[in-house]
Formats: sequence, C-alpha cells, structure tokens
Amino acid sequence: MLALQVLTNGLVLGCLYACIAAGFSLVWGVLNVINIMHGGFIVAGSYLAWLAYSSMGIDPWFTLLIAAPLFFGIGYLIQRGILNRVIAAPVLVTLTLTFGMDLILNNGMLLAFSADYRKLILSPPLGSFLLAGIVVPVDRLLAMLLALGLTFALYLILRHSRIGRAIIAVRMDRDASLLMGVDIKIIYAVAFGLGAAMAGCAGVLLALIFPISPLSAGAYLGKAFVVCVLGGLGSVPGAILGGLFLGVTESIGAVVFGPEHSVTLSFSLLIVFLILRPNGILGKKGYE
Amino acid sequence: MKNFTMALLHSAVNRGRRAVPLWLAAVAVSSVFGLQTAHAQEVIKFGAPLPITGPLAPEALKQKQGYDLWANQVNLAGGINVAGKKMKVEIVYIDYQSNTPRAVQATERLITQDNVQFVFAPFGSGAAKAASTVAERYGVPMIAATASSSQVYDQGYKFLFGTFTPNDTLTNPLATIIRQRLPDVKKVAILARNDLFPLAIAQEMEKSAKERGLEVVYFEKFAINTLDHSSALAQIKAANPQWIFATGYTNDLVLMRKQMTDQRIEAPVVTMIAAPAYQEFIDAAGKGAENITSAAWWHPAVRYKGIDIFGTTESYVKLFRDTYKADPDYANASASVSGALFQIAIEKSGTINRQKVRDELAKMDVTTFWGQVKFGPNGQITSLEPPIFQIQNAKPIVVHPAGIKQGDLRIGVK
Repeated sequence: MLALQVLTNGLVLGCLYACIAAGFSLVWGVLNVINIMHGGFIVAGSYLAWLAYSSMGIDPWFTLLIAAPLFFGIGYLIQRGILNRVIAAPVLVTLTLTFGMDLILNNGMLLAFSADYRKLILSPPLGSFLLAGIVVPVDRLLAMLLALGLTFALYLILRHSRIGRAIIAVRMDRDASLLMGVDIKIIYAVAFGLGAAMAGCAGVLLALIFPISPLSAGAYLGKAFVVCVLGGLGSVPGAILGGLFLGVTESIGAVVFGPEHSVTLSFSLLIVFLILRPNGILGKKGYE
Repeated sequence: MKNFTMALLHSAVNRGRRAVPLWLAAVAVSSVFGLQTAHAQEVIKFGAPLPITGPLAPEALKQKQGYDLWANQVNLAGGINVAGKKMKVEIVYIDYQSNTPRAVQATERLITQDNVQFVFAPFGSGAAKAASTVAERYGVPMIAATASSSQVYDQGYKFLFGTFTPNDTLTNPLATIIRQRLPDVKKVAILARNDLFPLAIAQEMEKSAKERGLEVVYFEKFAINTLDHSSALAQIKAANPQWIFATGYTNDLVLMRKQMTDQRIEAPVVTMIAAPAYQEFIDAAGKGAENITSAAWWHPAVRYKGIDIFGTTESYVKLFRDTYKADPDYANASASVSGALFQIAIEKSGTINRQKVRDELAKMDVTTFWGQVKFGPNGQITSLEPPIFQIQNAKPIVVHPAGIKQGDLRIGVK
C-alpha cells in the first residue's frame, strides 16, 4: 500500500533526522552556540566509517564505539581551547567562529578525500524484508534503531548523571548554576563534546545510507536547523519529535506536491513555526 | 599585447574607480612595449573558469585533466604553429566555486585582467550560457566543453561554440532502440533533477518517448540537494513502468539506485544520465550499476582517425591512461578536444586574431578523435553520433551505433 510505505519511509527518515539534530540542539540550547561545524562533524564521522570498513573491514556498528569517544574528545578540546574564549560574546560571534572553523574542516576533508562521492557498500549487503506489504530496508532500519538508541543514551546521560544534571542546570539558568558551584567551563566543554560525539555517530550511521562527500555537510546542517526549530531547542525529546515530524511531512509532501517541493515544504514549515510557535513543538517545556 | 595596451588605456580613461592617470598609462604602456615585445609573442593564453571547489568540484577535475593533457601535448611539440612561428600554450585557471554569477565574473576577469586570448566556457549548460554573454561582448571565441542544452545557444551569439550535440540526439536513439528491441516496454517513468541540463534532457526524453508511442506514467522533478528519494520511488513503483529514466549528477543517481534496491524496484530497462559513464558511479553503485543504460557524447570505444594533435581515438585513450592511470570519460575528452579545436583553427587561419580564429571555427568540418566536428549556425556541434552504452560486468559497453558496438543490450535491472 503506497500510503503505508510512504509513512514508513517518513518515520525511518525522521529518526535519522532526529539523530542528526540531537547534538546540534543540545549545543544550541545549552551554550547558545550555533555550531556550523555540526554538518562537517557528521561528514567526518561518515568518512571514519568508510575508512574503517574499506581499509580494515570494521563494520559501522563497531566504528560507533570508536567514533563516540574520538569526537567527544575533539569537541571537548575545540570548546575548551577555542570557543570558550568568545563564549560570552553575542551568538553571531560564535556563529562566525564556527563558520570559519567549518571552512577549515571542510576544505581539509576536500584535500584529504577529494570531492568525489564515496559509498560504504556492505558486503554481503543486508537486503530488505517485507512486512505487511511494506518493504523495509534492513540497513535503514538498523541505522534508525541505533539512532534512536544513541538519542536515548544522550537523554539518559542528561537525566541521570551528575554532569548531565549540571548541563541542564546551566541551560535553565547560567548564573544560578554558577552560584551553585557548577564549573561552567567544564560543562560547556562537555556539552559541546557530547554534541560532537552525537554528530560523529550520526555520520557513521548515515554512511550506510547516503553517499559521502564534504559537499553534503550543508544539507545535513540545514536539516538540523529545521528539526531544532520544529522540535524546540536543547531538548532531546524535541529533537525526536521534530525529526519525525519533518521526516513524515517531507515524505508525504513529496507524494502530494511532488518531490521537487519537499525541501520547500520543510523550510515553509520552518517559517510557519517561527511565526506561530517559535519555541517548537515542545518548546521550553521540553526540559528533561 | 595589443589587448593589454587597450585594457590599460581603457581603464585609465574610463573607469573612475581604477583612476590610472593617463600619463602614467602612457609611460607604462611604452615601457611595457619596449620590454615585452619579444617575450609576449611566444605564449598564447587560454582562460578556463572552473568550479574547482563546491558541489561541482569533481567535474572541474575532469575538465582540468582534459585541458592539461592537451596543453602538455602541444607544448611538447613546441607549441601551436602560427604561420610558421611556434607559440606555447598557457592555460589560466580561476575557481568560481560552483557559483554561476562568479563564473561570469571569472570569465570577465580572465579577459580583462589576465588578458587571455581565447576562453573555455565554465562547466555545464547554465554557467556556459551566462558566461557566453561576456565572451560575446568582448569578441573572444569561447568553446563550451560541457554544454548540451540547445537553450545555451539561442542568443544569436557569434563567438560561442559547443562540443556537445543537443539533448535529443541522446534521447531519440535511446527511445528508438528500446522500442525496437523491447516491444513489450509500454510505460516509462521519468525522475529528473531540477537543474538546467538534467531537466532539459528529461523533457527531451518525454518528447522522444511520446513520439514513439510510449506512455509516460510519471514525470517529476526533485530539488537539488535532496537527501531522500523514497517517496518519489514509491510512487514510481506503484505506477509499474517497464522503463525508468532518471537524470541528475553522480551523487543523486548513486543514492537513487541504492534506494531503488532498498524498495525492491526492478524494471526491464533503467536509464540514468549523466553518471554511468563515470568510474566513480560504477564504484559507488556496486552491483546496482549492472545493466544500467546511458548515453553520452563520446566513449573510449569509438573509433575516429583525427587530424588533431591526438590523432586516433585509441592514441588519445592510451595517452590519457598513461598520464592519469585511468580511462578517459566523455567529460575529459570534450575538454581535450576543445583545446585541440582552438589549435586547428589557429593553425588554419595562421593567426591568433580572435575574429579570424572565430571565422575558422565557424566553417570547420574536420575529423577529430572526438568525432566529426562541424558547428551549426548557432555554434553548437551538429555532426556527432552519440554512443549509447550499458554497464555490463562493471564496464561501460557500447551497444549503439552498430559500427562501434561492443555488445548487445541486456534486459532487466534488479
């Protein structure tokens, strides 16, 4: 049935979008930093997965275990070393800084890998299965489940660990947390590191599905933006809801209005939400 | 030399923001004349604006390989023969970052600041059309190596020439062959990237298909940078066509092919333009590339004995292979032949005078390693017979025209 297939496609896509956006949302909500490098981190994660598979035969599921601490470390260092110096400045200053760093990252990847599109082709391929007349590709399903798992792991960290609670406290009220003895510098760095780790892991999962090239970074960043606005900033459930909403809308929109308008649709939604409900679906209520 | 002088005087006299005082220009000009007369005559400069960075970067690389191969060959032989005097070739590259307005600026800069004598068009139909206005204004002959849509050549320009035949020269033979070979194919679905060339050729395909009695059951465009084609493909699957025709660039088609496999979409014929000619597509699509058909303006298997510097198609392919350790595709070859055509025109006219070289190009009718080259009144080449090929065992195999056929058309894409 076409409708069910389209809906399923939308949900699967939506979970991938949620994973792309969760880290971006966290960094924006907590640090008030719009991390333009987020797209670049995702592509770097994809390249990591591709390199690991093509040169050492390591499956992407295991590459996740390498990507998470690696990107966390990189994110932590970038925040402590560079971003922290301008953290008190207006958001446009940090945006420009991350934009500049993204240019370096992007061109670095272009030099290292060239702009040719790479593809991670699993052999043997995972195939697909039929469920009530709907075709479900196994690799997308696995990526979707892992994406949900990662997002849920982030949620647990934020909710149940000391440092996670501190991050939420900083987002609620920076000055009050300072008074409570929270070391803001470390919290910021950890939050940014978590965001980078999520991006890197999302990249590893996306390598299974999309072709890899530094040129895709902008497209991923665009999706992350829309999901954040739709779902609400700084909230993991918000990212999931926003991602699902976007995925399903794009899928259905492509059938109803034609595929050339699905991107227009998502950005029109962005505008509508910015006007009517700027805090997103969950908005400020989305604190964990 | 003359152009450099004219440019300097022009800027001195006319442009306020440049404000070079006339007396200074006169002094500069006379000293330059004195110093450079002998040296400047030895090099012919060609301008090549390319999308070296940005989404079209892979295309720029192919163009540059083609241009450099030609320039190196020419210079190894001592240079272009201009009425008995050998002049070396220098290509000036500018990166326009895959941004069409910048391509136009780059073209103008090459002409007015870098003082190139001749110019190659930027990549693709859209940018070529935009930049051709600049070339026309300054009277600089421009050869477009990658512009096939006839809309590029509809401005009545005299200085623009193109080495790709119009899009229907690809779609008509394709449709004819499919119709003849597979009479059971009745329905065709078309999915096109919303971009000048991919959309133009998809529209031509629609015409070619309808003219031969096929039913077009689906025709949609997808936005540039689309990350997911599953909805469009789900609809195509529901329409159950026997022929799927998809257009886009390498990344789009690789993604689309994978999503077709994901959704278990199969058809007797799947045609994709314009990626299957590239090794990158075959590598990235893996088994999915098998039996995909495509068409292009050239293929390493064609056999022509050219009067150009490369000679036969085989020698061009061998030279390219030895230099770059890979087979040339039509994008590389088109760039090389663009240089070779300038060379032929210059040698025939015995001068580097732009108007005379332009006239020589306009009346050219020669055989080259690329094929027969004759330009129509609008500057677009009319004399090619584009090969149709199919990927068989991970290699592009020519299935038409009969004279250079390497294999038979296989049916069924899983």
